Amino acid sequence: MNSFRQFTALLSMSLSGVRQRLGSVLTIIIGVTSAVAVLVSMLAMGSGARRQVLAGVREDRVVVNTHGAGIQSTIPRDQADTVRDLPGIKKGADGKPVVDFQSIVIIEARRRITARRTFFPVIGVTRPPFADAQSDLHLTEGRAFRPGLHEIIASTPCDRQLTDFAIGDKRPIGSADWTVVGHYDEGDVQQCVVLADAEILMSTFNNNSYTQATATLKSVADYPVLQRALEQNPTLHLEVRHEAEAREEGISSLNGLLNFAAYFVGSIMAIGATLGAVNSLYSIVDARRREIATLRAIGFGSAPVAASILCESILLALPGALLGVLLAWALFHRMAVSPFGFSFLLDVTPRLAVIGVLWALGMGLIGGLLPALRAARVPVTTALRAT
Amino acid sequence: MTEGVSFVSVRRCAEAIAEACALGMKYLPLIWSGLWRKPGRTILIFLQVAVAFALFGVLQGLKTGVAHAVSTARADLLIVHSRLSSLAQPLPRGLLEQIRTVPGVKIAIPVELTGGTYQKPDQGMGIVAVSPDGDWQNAFTYTIAPAYLAAFRKSRTAMLVKDLVAEKYGWKIGDHIPLQLPAVVQQNGSADWAFDVVGTFTDSDIGGGRYIVIVNYPYFDEARLAKKGTVNHFNVAVSDPKLAVQVADAIDARFVNSSHETKTESLRELAQQSMQQIGDFDFLIRAVVGAVLVALLFATTTMMVQSMHERIPELAVVKTLGFTDRAVFLLILAEALAVFVTGAVCGLLLATLALPIAARFVPGLSMPGSVVALGLALGILVALVSASIPAALAARLRVASALAGHRAA
Repeated sequence: MNSFRQFTALLSMSLSGVRQRLGSVLTIIIGVTSAVAVLVSMLAMGSGARRQVLAGVREDRVVVNTHGAGIQSTIPRDQADTVRDLPGIKKGADGKPVVDFQSIVIIEARRRITARRTFFPVIGVTRPPFADAQSDLHLTEGRAFRPGLHEIIASTPCDRQLTDFAIGDKRPIGSADWTVVGHYDEGDVQQCVVLADAEILMSTFNNNSYTQATATLKSVADYPVLQRALEQNPTLHLEVRHEAEAREEGISSLNGLLNFAAYFVGSIMAIGATLGAVNSLYSIVDARRREIATLRAIGFGSAPVAASILCESILLALPGALLGVLLAWALFHRMAVSPFGFSFLLDVTPRLAVIGVLWALGMGLIGGLLPALRAARVPVTTALRAT
Repeated sequence: MTEGVSFVSVRRCAEAIAEACALGMKYLPLIWSGLWRKPGRTILIFLQVAVAFALFGVLQGLKTGVAHAVSTARADLLIVHSRLSSLAQPLPRGLLEQIRTVPGVKIAIPVELTGGTYQKPDQGMGIVAVSPDGDWQNAFTYTIAPAYLAAFRKSRTAMLVKDLVAEKYGWKIGDHIPLQLPAVVQQNGSADWAFDVVGTFTDSDIGGGRYIVIVNYPYFDEARLAKKGTVNHFNVAVSDPKLAVQVADAIDARFVNSSHETKTESLRELAQQSMQQIGDFDFLIRAVVGAVLVALLFATTTMMVQSMHERIPELAVVKTLGFTDRAVFLLILAEALAVFVTGAVCGLLLATLALPIAARFVPGLSMPGSVVALGLALGILVALVSASIPAALAARLRVASALAGHRAA
C-alpha cells in the first residue's frame, strides 16, 4: 500500500512537469501518432474490402458450385433441376424452390477519369433480381431488365466510375449490343456489378453451363441436410458452402496481402517510434536525476520510481494512439479506393481503433522499460553530489 | 532574376557544404568526440534513422521495381485472346492455322489455363496446357533445359514444374503426381488427374504466377469431357519486335466480324495495365513515407536541441578558444550529417537485404541506384533541417553568459 502511494505521488509529480519537457513529450506523441495512424489506415483497407464483400450476406443462404474452381466453376444446365430439388431448400410463395442460377462473365470497361482499363462482372440470373422482399437491391433509376431481351441493369458505381453506363446506353457484351435500362444500388457497395437474364446471356456466349447457384434454406439448421444430399449424389460434382464463407474465399488472398502490408509497415514504424520514445524518456530521466536521487534519499523505493516512469511512458503513448486513430478516421474513413481493380470504401472500425490503442500501449511499455530501469538505479550519493 | 537568386543560393550552399567537409576532415576528432558524448543517445538516433530509411527503401523499391519489370517485359510476345471477355472466354483451337499465316508471326502456340490442387484444397497451382510444337518455348517467358524439352515432347502425360513448385512439394524427375483439377472433368467423370514430372523450369515474367506447371495440351484436351477443342489464348512470338503492333493488328483484323473476334496484346502492354492497378498505391506509399519522415524529423530535432542545451558550457569553451560562430554552426551540422548519412546507408542496405524476402510476397521488388540516391539526398536534407535549429542556437551563444552557466539568449 505504501509503495502504491509513493507510486501515485511520483506519477503526479512527473506528469506535472510535462510542460517543461514539451519537446521530449511531443516526440513520443508524434512518433506514436504517425505509427498508429499508418497502421490503422492500412488495416482499414482489409476491413473495408471484407465489409463490402460480406454486405447483404444472409445466414440461411448458401452457394453451390464446383469447389476451388473459382470463375471456372460449372453447373451444367441439365443438372439444374436436380439441384433445385435437393432437400433443405425453401419453397417460395409460388411453391417453387428459392434457387437462383447464375452465369458470370467478366467484361472489360474503361474508367471515366483515367480511361484505364478495368473489369466488371456481368451476372446472368434466373430469378428476377427485385422479387425477394428481403433483398438489399434497390432500383434507383429506370426499370428492371425484361427476360429474353438484351437488357442489363447496372449498379450505381458502374455509372459513377465507368464510361457508357447511362440509362439508354448500348454496350457490346459478347456478340450482341445490350441496352442499359436501369440502375440499382446495394448498401454502400462500390464495385460495379451488372445484372442480366441468365438464359439470354448464356446464349450470347454459346454457354451451356451456369457458373454457380445460390439457394435459400428452409432454416439454418437444414445446411447439413443439403450438404449430405449433395455428397451422396454421384452425378453432381458440386459443393455447398455458407454464403459468407464462399464470398470471403474470393477476397482471402487480397485481404492477406493488405493485412501483411499493414502489419509489416506498421511494425517498422512502431520500432522507429519506440526508439524515439526510449531516447526521449532517457533524456527525461537524465534531466530529473537529482530530483529522483533526492526522492530516493528521503525514502522513496526504487520499484515505485521505475513503475512511475513506465506508467508515464504508457500515458504519453495513449494520446498518440487516440490522435492516430482519429487522424486515420478523419482522413481515410469511407474513402473510396480501388487496388487491383477492386473498388471499396476504407472502413475504420472500433476493432481497428482497439488494435491501434493496444499497439501504442505496446510501444509505450517497451519504450519505457530501459529508462525506468535506469531511473531505478540512479546512484543516490553521486547524483546528489553532481552539479 | 529568380535564376540569379537560385544560382547564388546554390553556390552559397555548395560553398557551405565544401567548407563543412574541409572542416570535417580537420576537426574529425572533435566531431567524433561530440558524437560519442552520449553514446546511447547517438546510437538510438542512428537506429531511428536506419529504421526509417529501411522502410523508405522497401516502399520505394516496390514502386520502382514494378516500373522496372514493365520496361523489361517482352514486347515481342503477343497474347491472342477473345474480344468478348479477356478472362475465361474460350477460343476454338482451329484459329491457330489462320494465326500462323499472318505475316510476321514466327511461332503460335495454343494455351489452355486452369487451376489445380495437390493433396489439399489450399495447395493450389496454375495449370498451363501447351502444344509442344517446334520451338514452342520461344513463345513463352520460360527457361527450360533442352533435355527436359525433349522429355516433355516424348510423353503425353509429361509435366514440367516451375522450380518453386518442385521446391515446395519436393517433387523429383520421374515422380507420378496426382492432381485435382476441379474445373476439368475427365471422360470417366473424375476430376483426379495424374502427370509425370519430366523436368523443371524458371519464369522471367514476374506476373506469371508463383506456382505453375506445364502439361501437354493434346493429351489434356483429349482426356477432358467438356470444352473440347477450345483454348484460353494463343501465345505468339513475332519475327521482328519492331513489328509487334502491326502483327497484333493484323491478327485481330483477320477475325473481325467472325464469330470469334480476337484481341491481341503484347506482354508489355499487359504488364503496363497491371502496373496501373498497382499505381493506385502510389498515394499510399507517398503518405507513409511522408509520415515516417515527419516523425523522424521531429524526434531528431528535439533530441538535438536537448543535447545542445546540455552542451552549452563546452560549446562556450570551444568559442572561447577562437572558433567562429560559423565554425560552431558547421560543427553541429557535421555531427548530424555523420549520424544521418551512416544511418541512411545502413537502412538502405538493410532494405536491400530484406528485398529477397519481401519479394516472396510481392513479386518484382528491386533497389535501383535512383532509390539509393534519393534516400541519401533525403537523409542529408532531414539532417540539415533538423540540425539547423540547434546549430543556429549554438552559433548565437554568447560566451560570457554561457560560461556563467546561462542558457542561450
